[in-house]
Amino acid sequence: MNPPIDRRSFLTAAAVGGATIVGASALGGLDPASAFADPTPSLDPAIDTAAFAEGRVTQIKGSALEVAGSHGDQHVLQITNGTSIWKVHPTSINAIEVGDGLYARGVDMPDGTIAADAVWVNIVNLHCTVSGIGRDRIQLAHGQNSVVGNVLPGTTTASYLGGAQTSDLSGMKIGQAVQVLGAWRPADDSVDLVTMWVGH
Amino acid sequence: MAFGVLADVAPLLLGGLLGWTGLAKLTSRTLQRAASESALMRVLHDVRRVSGALRTLGAVEVALAVTLLAVPGRPVPVPGLAAAALGVGFVGYLVHARVTAPDSGCGCSGGDSAPITWRAFARAGLVVAGGLLAAAATGTWWSALQDRPAATVGIIVAGIAVLAMLSTDLDQLWLLPLRKARLRLLGHPLDGTAGPVPLAATVELLERSLAWGAAAPMVRSALIDHWDADGWRILRYAGVCRDRPVSVVFAMDATATMDTTQNPAIRVTMIDELTQEVIERPPLAVMS
Repeated sequence: MNPPIDRRSFLTAAAVGGATIVGASALGGLDPASAFADPTPSLDPAIDTAAFAEGRVTQIKGSALEVAGSHGDQHVLQITNGTSIWKVHPTSINAIEVGDGLYARGVDMPDGTIAADAVWVNIVNLHCTVSGIGRDRIQLAHGQNSVVGNVLPGTTTASYLGGAQTSDLSGMKIGQAVQVLGAWRPADDSVDLVTMWVGH
Repeated sequence: MAFGVLADVAPLLLGGLLGWTGLAKLTSRTLQRAASESALMRVLHDVRRVSGALRTLGAVEVALAVTLLAVPGRPVPVPGLAAAALGVGFVGYLVHARVTAPDSGCGCSGGDSAPITWRAFARAGLVVAGGLLAAAATGTWWSALQDRPAATVGIIVAGIAVLAMLSTDLDQLWLLPLRKARLRLLGHPLDGTAGPVPLAATVELLERSLAWGAAAPMVRSALIDHWDADGWRILRYAGVCRDRPVSVVFAMDATATMDTTQNPAIRVTMIDELTQEVIERPPLAVMS
């Protein structure tokens, strides 16, 4: 979803001219990790609860995604201009393929569909142990299963001991416990590593 | 000559392997759990029957191991042939499990619930080969040890090494130390340069800021778009403000992270999606 350059420069000019707020808080966010948080009630009084959907994409029709849930439920997600789509990066509906898994949060529509606010595609959140480190991959032990994690230059980041996320991955050690947020690749069952937390 | 020693030593190695996996099944305290995750559940449908079957199999393996160790080779090749038949059974079971329930465990060595991989197949194949070799033995392993100690010990060590490599249970003992040693000797293969501040660090800083706290009630989507301009990093979210769809746009220092600042200065703007006009005095409630 790359809008025209002039739209970006308009938004840049508007954003730089915006009100400045200085300071830190700990409210938490809508980052990919929050896909695993409980659906929170919307603060808009017109809407009581956020709708939540999870499953595999069975069909893509224009801007509608048909999703088969893990518990036999069916959802139709409507993607709008205001829907964020995450698949390793913020991206567009064109990146979604039939067979992908997803989590979505949105608003129930009267026709039974869900107007999606945020969609996370193939997102996985794993607590595992580093069992091998290579030039372009990190092997992970998840329980008795071994998972291949693909290192994506410029994307994969790690945070050590509560520090800021950095692309410096040279602090990873074999045997370390690590929480991994990534995107599952259905084709070869590996995981694209996005964010890792070590020693937290 | 070498084949003769190999055949004579085969009962020892095979007996050791079957004794180990058999005892593991008989003494495992987590057998019930391994049973519930094993592919045998697809056949027997009941945890108690599966763990009973695994215990019985363990007893058969131990009995076979003792026989192989005590009365190896001719004139009675029966233990070797029985072990080969057991190996054929293992291969058949693994093929069946791999086809019908690829994610389930094999329960091969009692407590493990590791999924079936090529290593399980290789181990079952070695049981078949070992059994056939043992059936072809002309002498006993203890006489081989006396007659040609160097060759025999060499084969035993190599055999144990191969069996260890085929067992996921033992990775902790040799594979991880080996990998650690390689990193120490050859250096860390992953990039040690931090480069530009990654997006994840910027988003992390934003989500722990007062600006985010003030705008969050209006933000609906996750991050939709982001770009860098003149040292700024611009992040766009979708939201709702005064019942109108808006873009919530944050502008922040592209080089700032949680490590470099405690009090990030972040600019917040709301733009009406329908009119493309900046919303004056948006309802940003700063709670501190």
